[in-house]
Amino acid sequence: MNALEIKNLDASIGEIKILRGLDLSIPKGAMHVIMGPNGSGKSTLCHVLTGKEEYEATGSVKVQGVEVLGTPTDQRAGAGIVQAFQYPVEIPGVTLRDLMEELAGDQDDPDAFWARVDRKRDEIKVGRFMDRAINLGLSGGEKKRSEIFQISVLNPAVAVLDEIDSGLDVDAVREVAEAVEAMRTNELAILLITHYDRILRYLKPDRIHVMMDGKIVRSGGPELAAELEGTGYEAFRKVAEG
Amino acid sequence: MKPLTPSSSAGLGGPAWLIASRSAAAEAFATAAMPDPRLEQWRYVDLEFDIADYQLAVTPGDAQFEADAGPTAGRALVVDGFITELEGLGRLSELSAPPASPAIDTGADIFATAHTAFVRDGVVLHLERNSAESDTYLMEVVATQSSTLSFPNLTVIAEEGSQSSVLVFCRSADDVDALVVPRITIEAGPAANISITIVQEWGDMTRALAQLHTSIERDARVHLGEVGLGGVYSRLFFTVDLQGSGAHSEISGLYFGDEDQTLDYRATINHQAPRTTSNMFLKGAVEGSAHSVFTGMIRIEEEAQQTSAHQTNRNLVLSRDASAESVPNLEILANDVACGHASTVGPLDQEQRYYLTSRGLDRDRADRLQVRGFFEEAIGLLPNQAVAPGIRRIVATKYAEAQAAGRA
Ligand SMILES: Nc1ncnc2c1ncn2[C@@H]1O[C@H](COP(=O)(O)OP(=O)(O)O)[C@@H](O)[C@H]1O
Ligand SMILES: [Mg+2]
Repeated sequence: MNALEIKNLDASIGEIKILRGLDLSIPKGAMHVIMGPNGSGKSTLCHVLTGKEEYEATGSVKVQGVEVLGTPTDQRAGAGIVQAFQYPVEIPGVTLRDLMEELAGDQDDPDAFWARVDRKRDEIKVGRFMDRAINLGLSGGEKKRSEIFQISVLNPAVAVLDEIDSGLDVDAVREVAEAVEAMRTNELAILLITHYDRILRYLKPDRIHVMMDGKIVRSGGPELAAELEGTGYEAFRKVAEG
Repeated sequence: MKPLTPSSSAGLGGPAWLIASRSAAAEAFATAAMPDPRLEQWRYVDLEFDIADYQLAVTPGDAQFEADAGPTAGRALVVDGFITELEGLGRLSELSAPPASPAIDTGADIFATAHTAFVRDGVVLHLERNSAESDTYLMEVVATQSSTLSFPNLTVIAEEGSQSSVLVFCRSADDVDALVVPRITIEAGPAANISITIVQEWGDMTRALAQLHTSIERDARVHLGEVGLGGVYSRLFFTVDLQGSGAHSEISGLYFGDEDQTLDYRATINHQAPRTTSNMFLKGAVEGSAHSVFTGMIRIEEEAQQTSAHQTNRNLVLSRDASAESVPNLEILANDVACGHASTVGPLDQEQRYYLTSRGLDRDRADRLQVRGFFEEAIGLLPNQAVAPGIRRIVATKYAEAQAAGRA
């Protein structure tokens, strides 16, 4: 069974159609990458996967075989899909530790949860801002680390990482990439969204998909990234239209 | 009970200056009318009561100290307007002359006039020159008798270079339909450093109209913390006069109105001298059909050059029938100043809700966390942090109850 299975997904906001018949499956343990130009619908896909209310979506999204389309956002997390946001919002007055305390209350094994929090805090180096308001005044790299940290402690079946590399300098990209590789297990499926191939130098994805105008226009192995770098997205647009 | 008449006023006794000041006000009160709702100071609220419906209590009800304030330098318990316990603090009636400035314009409104006319006695904190007290002074104000009206009074006289903190805690039981008109006067002498935290937890039926006046001299600093939680109607009318160069006023606070409460804040900050600074940060929430008002006037006189004045008021409106007014005003007569105000009124933030629910918290829990965070910023700024845990608990309970009852 695939960890994530998307079939014929359409999404729109008001009159604007953004996703048009998107199909994508990720087996557990695999890392798939979606690349695509700005405005192709990558973030929309992520938000539709985690149930953001303003998007209207039809089709099917199954997480570990369970249909999640139409369910509220918190139940998506319960079903096992969690997102690292491209633009994580600031939560004034609520610290990362406060959030961990809330989440601990839901755990079957709180001790194991706190042990994971402590381990991941050190691994991903978020100790410095555990007691600061979530995302408030953090640098770009710190925000990304905070997102990866949250996903790591939630231990989902599917991690959706939206432009986890954007707005970072070279060193920060490598650090974030290392944190992503450190997340990988035989159980976790990762959907990593990126705009550039830069981060791919440090990652070992299983599949790469090119997204244009709300659908996947081409899929291939890791070598597709190099090809994209040579031709740019426009070549794929012609393929898709032609 | 005694009606609000000149003879009731005359019967309150005390030193000659107090009797004379009461008597003049009692005369003015006899012809005073309830406020005209068209006046700016009374806009946005509907008082729905008449002061004449209340009378003076003749004996205090039964009440003990309750606040968990830690060690105190002095404490006063004021019950139904009577000072029933007093340790380490003085009384207004013991002063041989009135405090330096009768800072509040007693003609300002009927409640100010009534206070001057019928104040029984007051609590006085007199801080000697350069004295520093690390423990807090506590004043607890309690109303126990329905249909009564009381005038709790606190005067803080901080001489040059003195330092101290004060906690005023107001409460009544939920079934006490009383009217309380407290007055607090603070005179901060040169380079004094005073903090005062006022926590009001009036019961569901109590009405309170508090007046607070602060005057701040050269290089002195006064930090006012205000927490408004209770009362069917609770008003705080306060003025701060920055009278000496380098004077600083800091105001931090929060309020949370539930069901049919009205919480009404009227602030005036007068910058009267050069290089004075003021900063105000107030956060409020309303649920059910509650209503809140904040009007803030920053006035900068011509001679108050190089001053800075900032005011932030943020409001969460948690239900369809609740409402909040936030009206900042600036009146600037000097040209070399830095002023700013930020005022917002709105519902819970959808993006924050999405973020928190995406971590697996259900919507209600996510909203509770957001509300907690919203107030945390203000609670963290209160000068007296000993009260913070209790306030967090009350705010959390208020919101959880509103959610459970479908009011938010
Ligand atoms: N909330 C929204 N309101 C209006 N338009 C939106 C909204 N979200 C996305 N869009 C539009 O959908 C398209 C895809 O956006 P997005 O998913 O952010 O693309 P990407 O992440 O690939 O850059 C863009 O044209 C964008 O303007
Ligand atoms: Mg995007």
